[in-house]
Amino acid sequence: MDLSELERDNTGRCRLNSPVPSVCCKEPCVLGVDEAGRGPVLGPMVYAICYCPLSRLADLEALKVADSKTLSESERDRLFAKMEEDGDFVGWALDVLSPNLISTSMLGRVKYNLNSLSHDTATGLVQYALDQGVKVAQVFVDTVGPPETYQERLQQRFPGVEVTVKAKADALYPVVSAASICAKVARDQAVKNWKFVEKLQDLDTDYGSGYPSDPKTKAWLREHVDPVFGFPQFVRFSWRTAQSILEKEAEDVTWEDSQTGDQEGLKRIKSYFSKGPRARLPHRYFQERGLESATIL
Amino acid sequence: MESSDGEAVDKRRVHLRPVTLRDPAPVLLHLLPCEVLVNRPAPVGLFFTPAIRQGPDGLEVSFRGRSLRGEEVVVPPGLVGYVMIEEKGEVLLGKQDFSEGMADDEQEERELVEPPEALERDFDRFIGATASFSSFTLWGLETIPGPDAKVRGALTWPSLAAAIHAQVPED
Repeated sequence: MDLSELERDNTGRCRLNSPVPSVCCKEPCVLGVDEAGRGPVLGPMVYAICYCPLSRLADLEALKVADSKTLSESERDRLFAKMEEDGDFVGWALDVLSPNLISTSMLGRVKYNLNSLSHDTATGLVQYALDQGVKVAQVFVDTVGPPETYQERLQQRFPGVEVTVKAKADALYPVVSAASICAKVARDQAVKNWKFVEKLQDLDTDYGSGYPSDPKTKAWLREHVDPVFGFPQFVRFSWRTAQSILEKEAEDVTWEDSQTGDQEGLKRIKSYFSKGPRARLPHRYFQERGLESATIL
Repeated sequence: MESSDGEAVDKRRVHLRPVTLRDPAPVLLHLLPCEVLVNRPAPVGLFFTPAIRQGPDGLEVSFRGRSLRGEEVVVPPGLVGYVMIEEKGEVLLGKQDFSEGMADDEQEERELVEPPEALERDFDRFIGATASFSSFTLWGLETIPGPDAKVRGALTWPSLAAAIHAQVPED
C-alpha cells in the first residue's frame, strides 16, 4: 500500500483510495465500513471502506476474506494484494487519522469525542464513495457500542441506502471483512514506517502493540516523556494512560480554559463584606493589556 | 497582602550589565497560550519547531495534545526585545563587567573596578541579555490570537508612555 502521502505529513488526516472500478458506477453496490487502531495509545486510527457490485459479492467471498483479527499479518497482506488484483470490481478508500488529530480533537475547547470522530469519518467515507459515482445500495458498518442510534443516524443521512450497523460485522459480512483488512494493513504499515515529526535521535521503536494494557507500551511511554513537551506526537495525549504518566512525570501546564474551581469567585463575594481596604486595581488600560508594574524580579 | 518576603525582595537592587546589550545573538521566540509551571530550558528545536505547519489560516502546531494557531508579532519600530537572565551563584561582587573581550589571565591581574556604590551580597543582583529579538511567534489556543491579543496591546504602551511623559510646550 502506498502511504507516501501520509509519510510526507502525518500531523493531520490523510485520505487514500483505489481507482473506482467502472462497474461500481453502473451496478448497485454493497459497501463495508470498518476501522483499525481505535484502542491503542500510539499511532493513527484508520477507517476504511470497501465496495463491490452486489452481483460480484460471491467473487469477493471466494477470496476467503475474513475478520482481520483472525488473520496473520502476512495473510492480510496477501488478501489485500488479491483485492488490488481484482481492482476491476473491488474498490476501497481509507481515512488515516493521525494521533495528533485525535489528541487535538479530543482535547479541544469543545470536546470532540472518539465516537463522534469515528462516526463522522465513516460518514465521510460513504459520502466520498457516493461523490465518486459509486452506486451504493447497501452499507454494512462494524461498530463498538450500541448500534441502534448509530444505524438510525446513518440511515437518516443516507436515505437512499439500506444501512446495517452491527457489532462484529467484520466477521459476518465479507465486504466488512475486506474493509477491516484494508484498515489493518494501512494501520500496521503506518505504525511500522512512522516518521516522527520530532528530531529525536536513537529513538527506540520497540513499543509493543501500542495498547495501553501492554507493559512494553507503558514502559516505552515512560521512557519517552519530556518534562516540558510531554510526548512525541505519535502518542495520543488524550488517552488516560498518557495523561496519568504526564501527571506524574512531566511539569504541570495550565491553560486559559483549565478548571481552576470557583474558589476565586468565592473569595471575591466575601470581600464585599470585609472591612479591610480594597486593593486598588490598576487602570483598565493596563488590565486589558495584561500589564503590571514589575516590583519583583 | 504584602508579605515580609516581598518587601525583602523589593529592597533588592538590580543591575543590568550594559555590555551584554551590545551584540546578543538573535533568537526565535514562541509565546504560548498556557503556563508551564516551571522555569527551565526546553528542547524547543527537537519537539516544537519541526512540528510547525503553514495552514490555511496561519501557523499550526500542537502542544501537549492541544491545537495551537500562531502568527508573527513584530516588535514596534525603535524597540528591541532582549532575553534577560539573572547571573546566579557566587556573583562577583564588586567585579563589574567592564572586562569583556580580555584574555583570562589579563582579567585576573586587573584591579577590580569599584562601582560608585558599594555592592552587598544578597542585595545587589545582576541581569544580562543572552539573546535579542525583533519579532516572535504568538500562539493562541485553537484560534489565531489576532489584532485584539493582549500582548499586541501591551506593545503599544512604550509609545503611549513616551507621549504622556513628553514635555509639553507651555502656552
